Formats: sequence, C-alpha cells, structure tokens
Amino acid sequence: MPLIDCDVHNAFADVRGELRPFLPRLWQDFADRHGIAVPPAGYVSPVGVQREDARPPGGGIAGSDPAYLIRDHLERYGISYAILTGSHILGASNHFDPDWGNALVRAYNENLAARWLSLSDRFRGSIIINHSDPEAAAKEIHRCAADSRFVQVLMASGSNRLFGQRFFHPIYEAAAAHGLPVAIHPGTEGAGTADTPTPAGRPTRYFEWHNIVPINAMAHVNSLVCEGVFEKFPGLKFIAIECGIAWLPHLMWRMDKNYKGLRSQVPWLKRLPSEYIREHVRVTTQPTEEPENPKHLVQIFEMIGAPEMILFSSDYPHWDFDSPKVALPAVPADWKEKILWRNAAALYGLKLPEPAAIGG
Amino acid sequence: MAMRRHAVARAGEIPPGGRKVLMVGKLSIGIFNVAGELKAYRNACPHAGAPVCVGRISGTSLPSPVYEYAYGLEGCILRCPWHGWEFDLRSGEHLVDPATKLKAIAVAAGPSESLDPVTVETSGDEVYVLLPQ
Repeated sequence: MPLIDCDVHNAFADVRGELRPFLPRLWQDFADRHGIAVPPAGYVSPVGVQREDARPPGGGIAGSDPAYLIRDHLERYGISYAILTGSHILGASNHFDPDWGNALVRAYNENLAARWLSLSDRFRGSIIINHSDPEAAAKEIHRCAADSRFVQVLMASGSNRLFGQRFFHPIYEAAAAHGLPVAIHPGTEGAGTADTPTPAGRPTRYFEWHNIVPINAMAHVNSLVCEGVFEKFPGLKFIAIECGIAWLPHLMWRMDKNYKGLRSQVPWLKRLPSEYIREHVRVTTQPTEEPENPKHLVQIFEMIGAPEMILFSSDYPHWDFDSPKVALPAVPADWKEKILWRNAAALYGLKLPEPAAIGG
Repeated sequence: MAMRRHAVARAGEIPPGGRKVLMVGKLSIGIFNVAGELKAYRNACPHAGAPVCVGRISGTSLPSPVYEYAYGLEGCILRCPWHGWEFDLRSGEHLVDPATKLKAIAVAAGPSESLDPVTVETSGDEVYVLLPQ
C-alpha cells in the first residue's frame, strides 16, 4: 500500500552555514553576530528531541542528511511522499523583530527548494511563513507557490492571537488563491512573542508542556470556525499537525451545543460548527493516543465521523516517532487506507498508482 | 377531537410585542402578539422543558457575510431563558434547527421535541384558546 508521511523533520547540520547564503547582506551580518536566532520555548526533554538511532553516519543531527533520511526512513518503510516540516525555523514567527523573521523564513524556503526538494521527487515542501507579519507572509506564499513542490503553508502554532482573527486573513487569502492548505505545528508555545503555553499558566517541565500542547490547537480551530474563516475562504483546509485527535469530539459537541443558543454572535455561520471542522480541518496521527484498549481510539474516530480528516504522520526523526509498521493497530482497513495515504494524496494533490486489487 | 374554549385574555389586552403567560387548567401557556397576530405556545421548551414563554422577546442578527451584521425580526424572536435558544414566534421554529419547534403544525405527525399546538381564537371581547377536552 502507498504511504504518505505528513510530518517529516528535515534538519540542519549547520543552520547558520546553510541559511547564510540565502540571507540579504544586512541579515548575514546579524546572523554572523547572533546566530540564526529564534526564541526558545525553554522546555528541555530528558530524551532529547532527535532520535539517537537516526543520526546520520556522516555526522550532523538526525534529519540533517537528505540522502540518509531517504535510506533510513523513506526506503525502510516504503514511504511514497514525505511532507517536510523543518527544524529550528517555526520560531521565526515568534521573534520580536518581524523583519528578521521574514528574512529567515525566506532563506529557509530557498534553502529547502535548493537542498531538499531538488534532491528527490518524494520530498514535498512546506512554505514556512512568519505569521506575525501576515502581509509579508502572503508575499512569501505567492513567491513560493510558483514552485509546485511546495504543497502547504506551515506556521508556528505558538502565537499571541488566535488564528481565526482578521489579522491573519491575508495568509488564508494567499493560501486559498493557490489552493494550498495552511498547517500549524507545535513547539513554540510559550516562546518569544507567543503567549503562555496554557491560559492557566506555564507548565513546569517538558513532560507537562508536551501533554497540554493540544489545548493550543483546540483554541485555534475554535477560533477559525467562529471567526468565519471557512465561510470567507470556502476552499481553505487547515491542518493541525502533531496536536492529537481525541479532543475533537469534545470540541465539536461543545461548539454545536453552544451554537444552538449563541448563534446570534456569529451570524455568518451557516452550518453547525462541527460541519466546518469535518470539511476544513485535518489532523495528523502522531503522537497517536494509546488507550489501554486500542478499540477505544477507533470509537473516538467514529465519533469524529470523518475519516478524511485524519492523516498519517511519523514525526521522523524525533523521539516520539510513530512507526508506520505498528501505527493504528485497531483501525479498520478501509479507514487505514484513507489515513495512510488517500487523504493526504487528495489534500496535497499527490499522484499515486492505485494499488493492485488483492487476488486481481 | 372535541375542543373546548378557554377564555385567556380580553381583546386588546396583549398589545403588539406583548405577551401573557397563564395557566389553563394544568397547562402553562404563553400568548404572544406578534405584529398584530396572536400566537399561543405551550410554556415548555422542546430542548429541556424550560419555561420558554417567559424568555426575552427581541430581534436578532440575521444571516450575513463574515464580520457584517444585519439586525432584524424585531419582536419576532423568543429566547429561551435556559441555554438561549432562539425561536421565531411567527412559526415556532428554532433558528438553528427549524425541525425543532415551539408550535408544530405537524405535531400530530409526532416529532417528540415539538410542543402541542394551541389554537387562539378571538370572539367578541374575549381571547380564547382551544384545547382538546
């Protein structure tokens, strides 16, 4: 069966060395003095972030050698396409200086096209944007969208505003103009200009911080629906990468119930909130919730009621990697086929040969 | 089915925009003057049984493009005091789900969430409701 991995982290062995050639002279000088500065979230894991076993034999951190990534991950698991989601870069949205953030994401995208997307047709890129400057982000989307190897827009999920708000609409307008989905990825919650990782305060340790990351995706999805983003941009798809899945029934039920009484505040909504979520929001599997009884996760998927919402992801080469070989043990075959590749192929416009019929 | 007339108000007692909530036998009902037309509903919300007829009467924001507002249906919206569901007093329909009604003409067809219909009649100086005997 084909397989599309929707969260693969290409990395830098030498981030300054690789991005410097793509920076304007002024920002080269800045990088020479201060490095490729992005604000840290400040939470450190006892496991580290990169998988020890994924370190390239030639040196550099895991994910930094494209040829080795192909061998170690794509070939090992028979992955047809990897959606590259980057490293060290999402915090460009959370730096205090939006001009540095803009220069940085552009350099990143140019490096990605030159060093990764040109190397293998199995790599597909994310246009990383600086969401703190939506007009500049829209320009970067227009610039990169000319290269069809970029298949989505990706931005930090850490923010000091909820993503449905009108401030961000230029990003969605630009993405929708090119038929590109907009994705968020965690990691910058609490970093730089981003608000605290939870509205109730800062978690104490990485463990606690990692547990509660989905709260941020819930808040953004809620905002996108309530602000009418999917009425204003009816073709737009929004992907919450690595933010969990099991919270969806709760959010959908709560939004639908409230809508029945509070509809008058959002007269632009024409359908139940859950209907917008099913049509426009996508989530990725890793880190898959692992209930003691795996069938309970399938029941949650049934409650969500939209198998097309769910995309397989491994998060290679990070510590909380989900192996395609053992992922989704109890999920029925027809759903699994959608999750492992059909949904992503449809979302990203990736062509794949139909698998031969069994016994055919 | 035999119907019985119950006097519930004097003619003109309920002005446009006004209402009267009263007991008829063991039944609590609300009588509303919606732009000159009298409507009566059982005082029980189809959602959770709240005394819906004492809810606020208002207009509401009509369907509109994103970030635009159009206020209308002034005096036609009854908002349940529990949970805030909005009902169109002209039809009894819930604005989000019109199949859920305060007053369902098709109640005989039996949607479980629909209220019993109450027919209002004016004769001489009195307003009556007609209820099954």
